[in-house]
Amino acid sequence: MSTAAPEAVAGARTNLAGLLVVPATLFVAFMLIGPLAILFRYSLNKFVPGQFMVDALVIENYVKFFTDAYYLNVLARTVRVAVLCTLACLILGFPLAYVLARTQSRFKNLLVIAVVLPLFVGNAVRAAGWMTAFGSRGALNASLMGMGLIDQPLEIMYTEVAVLIGIIAVNLPFMVLSLQSVIEGIPRNVEEAAFSLGANPAAMFRRVLWPLALPGILAGTILTFILAMNAYATPVLLGGPKFQMMGPLVYGQFAQQNNWPFGGAISFILMTATILLTVAAHFIVQRRNR
Amino acid sequence: MARLSISHLKKSYGDFIAVDDVDIAIADGEFLVLLGPSGCGKTTTLRMIAGFIPPTAGSITIGERDVTALPPWKRHCGLVFQSYALFPHMTVAQNVAFGLEMHKVPQAERGPRVAEALRLVRLTGFDDRYPRQLSGGQQQRVALARALAMQPQVLLLDEPLSNLDAKLRLEVRVEIRELQRKLGLTTIMVTHDQEEALTMADRLVVMEKGQVRQVGTQRELYEKPADRFVAGFIGRSAFLDGEVTAPGRFRTAGGLDMVCAAAAKPGPATLALRPERIAVGGEADGLPNRFTAKVEHASYLGALLDIQVALDEHDRMLLQIPNRPGLTEPQPDESITIGWAEDAGLVYPRGA
Ligand SMILES: Nc1ncnc2c1ncn2[C@@H]1O[C@H](COP(=O)(O)OP(=O)(O)OP(=O)(O)O)[C@@H](O)[C@H]1O
Ligand SMILES: [Mg+2]
Repeated sequence: MSTAAPEAVAGARTNLAGLLVVPATLFVAFMLIGPLAILFRYSLNKFVPGQFMVDALVIENYVKFFTDAYYLNVLARTVRVAVLCTLACLILGFPLAYVLARTQSRFKNLLVIAVVLPLFVGNAVRAAGWMTAFGSRGALNASLMGMGLIDQPLEIMYTEVAVLIGIIAVNLPFMVLSLQSVIEGIPRNVEEAAFSLGANPAAMFRRVLWPLALPGILAGTILTFILAMNAYATPVLLGGPKFQMMGPLVYGQFAQQNNWPFGGAISFILMTATILLTVAAHFIVQRRNR
Repeated sequence: MARLSISHLKKSYGDFIAVDDVDIAIADGEFLVLLGPSGCGKTTTLRMIAGFIPPTAGSITIGERDVTALPPWKRHCGLVFQSYALFPHMTVAQNVAFGLEMHKVPQAERGPRVAEALRLVRLTGFDDRYPRQLSGGQQQRVALARALAMQPQVLLLDEPLSNLDAKLRLEVRVEIRELQRKLGLTTIMVTHDQEEALTMADRLVVMEKGQVRQVGTQRELYEKPADRFVAGFIGRSAFLDGEVTAPGRFRTAGGLDMVCAAAAKPGPATLALRPERIAVGGEADGLPNRFTAKVEHASYLGALLDIQVALDEHDRMLLQIPNRPGLTEPQPDESITIGWAEDAGLVYPRGA
């Protein structure tokens, strides 16, 4: 392409393209940025019990969060859970996505649907299902005890493990679909070329498949990480009242404590942490593959 | 570089036999071409040699080593794909160095070997380009350099030229052949382009329906085709169906009697004639087989005239006569005299 004045047709087309993105842009601006701006403004207000919200311009809500070990702990737990879930999704999802992308089976579409199927069941319904399965009088413990393998019910419900399993199960399809579409775009014979040049499967994966699948890996990890950071139903239902994560914490401040300024501050801390960690991970991965 | 031998190689997919009992021995430094119509099992054979398809039966030996059970990365076969299959995220130099790295060639040695491989394919100075910044022909040469750099035991080429335009194809053809000679590389190339096969090969293997029909030099295949399929596939032939009535006698379906080589056994047979062995007009005088034929169609091909004639309702054949100054092509329905020697026709039993 020349840098000289673009042809008239091309120019017109760019204008049209510009027009076409306007509705979506306006929608995002009004529905997302507007409320966020208001929320941010609220987070700088004061909360006076009994008086609800008092106009101010202070950072005491943020100070409160960062000086209280309880809240810092919730943030750390949220990040830990999100990182673990994302890694688990990547490790579990890659082989699955690879098989889905490479299979020549007639049942490929069925396999893809099987991966997506869990998404048809909402988070809350699914978590309720897990409760009946893993509760102390649930199906798993009942059968293990019935077989005499254990005499005390296993404590799975209301632990971090339960939450991890729950979030991984919810997020895995997103990871698999992101990876599958990218792997499908990598020609099979590029892998074969690597083999014929002496690369064993591990070397082929490290030098060819991983770098070529990187866009999908990034998309999948970002998606699952954001979902895990903001998880709500799963930690509430499977983690129980003592297992706090950021999502339920925000909700609690708004709906139960009526403390909108502090809820707003927590929302912004959650959002900022998510963005920073995502960007950091992105840079680390990119640098590795230089 | 090494000898390669394939014995009783077979691949079946369910009931379908893609490659059937293929036996080929390739000498050190030989350039062998696998030729055959689409779907005859050429690629399958090549991929079994490279180790990507496990054979149903048979064995493959490279040098002294039986590699039948080895995975591709231990076979040391340089494979060049029809679609090049370059690594899009690596530069030309990184692509070429990949095989060296995988074979643990010391770092210091890699640079010179990459440079040498790129020099051989005349791509010096393209080191830092990415594959997407190269033309098709250049990508093809990078793929070749990448396979050559690791000094493979055998070089396997699967229709390496089919994505190039006609002119480039002629050039790269010569380049590959020169390189192969210079390096003494044992090479197997797959193609369905007959001319390409004939110009490049030391020896050719003609395959059909998964089976080897004939192995031989260009001359052997053209002058002594082993069966009717090869006679029709390599070069052109006119085929007359009929039967051998007595030793040395052939009668066409239309009832014309001809003399043929005495060795043919009586029974239903096909007589194959190379177009250039058929004499026309005065040149046919004194030949044992002489017939008056009606011209059906004539085409002017520059150096040659192609003439389709009918001996009678059933028996049609194709002639080629060299063009000469003043020669005009015969008109349809014109009668001409044609003739051929008794050893010009090859007789193949039918239904065998
Ligand atoms: N995975 C497979 N399953 C079933 N049949 C197959 C499979 N792979 C190849 N075949 C069949 O085996 C036969 C040989 O295929 P192959 O690719 O070797 O042909 P080819 O000689 O390379 O043809 P072309 O010149 O068109 O490339 C074909 O008829 C093909 O349909
Ligand atoms: Mg093929």
